[in-house]
Amino acid sequence: MSIPGAEDSIDPSTFEQILEMDEDEVEREFSKSIVYDFFTQAEGTFTKMDTNLDKKDLKTLSELGHFLKGSSATLGLTKVKDSCEKIQHYGQLKDETGTKDIKEEEALKKLETIIKQTKDEFHEVEKVLKEFYNDDE
Amino acid sequence: MDSNSAGGSGSSNSSDFVRKLYKMLENPSDESVVRWGNDGDSFVVLENEKFTKHILPKHFKHSNFASFVRQLNKYDFHKVRHNNEENGQSQYGPGAWEFKHPDFKMNNKDALDNIRRKAPAPRKPNQANVDDLGMPSQQMDMVSGQLMATQAQLHTLEQRYNELSIHHSMLLQEVIGLQKTVVNHEHVMQNVMTFLHGVDSQQRRNSKLLFNGASRQNGNAEPPAQANEDDHPASPLQHASKLLSETNADVMLNPRNLEHMNEITMRMNGTLTTPPPDVLRGGTRPTSRGPPSATSTGSMRLENLDNLVYPVGQNNGIDPMYSEHINNIPYAMPPKAPDAGEAKPVEVRKKGLFADPGWIRPPQILLVEDDPTCRRIGSKFLYAFHCAIDSALDGLEAVNKMNAGSKYDLVLMDIIMPNLDGVSACHLIRQFDTTPIIAMTSNIRSDDISMYFQHGMNDVLPKPFTKEGLLHMLEKHLVHLKKPSPHGDTMPAPQPVQVARQLILKEEDSPAKSPATVSNWNSPSQLPGVSPVGSNMTDEYAQGLQVQQPHHPGAYGVNPMQPGMGFTTSPQVPMQARQQQQQLPPAGHRRQISDISGGDDMNNPAKRQQMFPPQMPGQINPMQSRPR
Repeated sequence: MSIPGAEDSIDPSTFEQILEMDEDEVEREFSKSIVYDFFTQAEGTFTKMDTNLDKKDLKTLSELGHFLKGSSATLGLTKVKDSCEKIQHYGQLKDETGTKDIKEEEALKKLETIIKQTKDEFHEVEKVLKEFYNDDE
Repeated sequence: MDSNSAGGSGSSNSSDFVRKLYKMLENPSDESVVRWGNDGDSFVVLENEKFTKHILPKHFKHSNFASFVRQLNKYDFHKVRHNNEENGQSQYGPGAWEFKHPDFKMNNKDALDNIRRKAPAPRKPNQANVDDLGMPSQQMDMVSGQLMATQAQLHTLEQRYNELSIHHSMLLQEVIGLQKTVVNHEHVMQNVMTFLHGVDSQQRRNSKLLFNGASRQNGNAEPPAQANEDDHPASPLQHASKLLSETNADVMLNPRNLEHMNEITMRMNGTLTTPPPDVLRGGTRPTSRGPPSATSTGSMRLENLDNLVYPVGQNNGIDPMYSEHINNIPYAMPPKAPDAGEAKPVEVRKKGLFADPGWIRPPQILLVEDDPTCRRIGSKFLYAFHCAIDSALDGLEAVNKMNAGSKYDLVLMDIIMPNLDGVSACHLIRQFDTTPIIAMTSNIRSDDISMYFQHGMNDVLPKPFTKEGLLHMLEKHLVHLKKPSPHGDTMPAPQPVQVARQLILKEEDSPAKSPATVSNWNSPSQLPGVSPVGSNMTDEYAQGLQVQQPHHPGAYGVNPMQPGMGFTTSPQVPMQARQQQQQLPPAGHRRQISDISGGDDMNNPAKRQQMFPPQMPGQINPMQSRPR
């Protein structure tokens, strides 16, 4: 089952195996709570990212990237996951593939961009998922 | 020393020195210089100078006041101090020295016997201390330098010891594996022999019947005397059985010794239940090319599936006279036709993904994961697989839980976690526990993986994991908790191990083989109880990562594990370094994962034997029954 409008940002089979865990296919209690908890978790992580971007704390930024990468990957949110991986790399003063070294200045600049992009991607997928769960908010 | 002349223990009870002292005080002419104290329980030297010059030489043959005082100290005389008195001065005058001993009293000569030299023992440390203080600092430096060097040496030795003990346990496992292989080969050979004997005798009987029948038809009643004489097994068979009985591996090898040794090492260092797969593969591969019979059947089944004959019915479906059939006997094929089980298990796998995997009791799983999303999904999956779950939020909590005595059947461990990472946690746990620990991580570069193994992890579950991957891990490491599979029960499988290994090898050896050839085999083996090796694992992993690349068996071994193993003392540092370079692994890496599971299986033939029901051919078929 794929989520309408999110074919490229949500990996269907990964997400599907979470949906399969729902006992009631209408209420979708389990997957919904997981997904909504993830929303909260992501927002919290973004706030921390902003704070640490101001503090220029690259190490923490990388750890935050890794943290969000894990949960977004588990949900199959591929776009967010990929961006988080880049945050992880930049925070380690590497380029986006994690192979070449980059300067701190460049890293901070790239981090600013990629964090913003991650947020956008997250809000996009959040909207789609909320629609999927028939949430009118 | 003057004590020898003046003191020492004479023949009499009281010492010379004390008696001389007493005698000295009995002399009234010297009263102005030295006399008894006013209370008669001490004596006073009033004039130091005169005492030293005139009286000491008279009684003690020397004129050294310091020596005299030292001597007094040796006999436990104490100088009476006057600090407490009002003017801080002695009643005998400012220059007076008053000495006291509880048993040195005027008019009490008997008590003198109680005055003894202090035992030499307590003197010694004093002496030594004096020496120490006087020791030149150079010497101290030298000693501490030596100490440092010794410590460094000790440290190197310790490291070396650890290294060697790891090597040792790996070698042990290796040898045990080899022994088991040899014994299994032995059994295969015996089975082959039994079978051949059967075929041989039947052939002889048949030819006799034919001969008899032919003669009867011809009306010739002459008994075939010659045939009776020839009624012995064919001579190559006889020869082979003789050789086999002479070199019986069961008798010649005693695996118990090694197993015992292995157990001891495991208990002692508690690490490395699974040697790194590269080492294993290097060791087992060449030997497992073993029996030619198995090889031929194995490859036969891969390449020539249509020609296979299944043993059915009384004659096992094989006409012993039809030589082509003999060549096509699928070795260790169950008497029940596999067709029966073919469609059903696949169906079960598809629909009943969350069906009870059939544990004899719910496995206790510890899920160590800092990320709430992963933890919840992981727990949910485990719950669906009828496991009892405990969770820890980081490595520290996990170590504490296990150290506090919580028992688990399996630990699923995230790698990067706050407080204590998974590798360090595993390293610590291995100091006291051997519960299987599975790394759950997205860092699956081959060097990462070999590091996990070095620190005692048993397997790797790539993240984000799929429920198939998770179930596979559970089934692989919790075989002992599985109810015996009904299919496995009904089908006697003399030596599935050998065949399995051959199949795997075959596949590895011919990377160019098209997957299509494999996939037209309708696999009966996708039972939940089957432990997927090699390619199955690859497949699941591919699903998990959702890599859009096509399945690519040609990429095998692109990135072989480094055989050289660095023994990292600090698990955290290299991890981070690697993590920096971490990227989406290329297709080649995926093979590594399957190598691991394959390698692990090879390591434990006993386990594998249970896990492989006899429907071996299914193992080669990752493409077919992927539950989608």
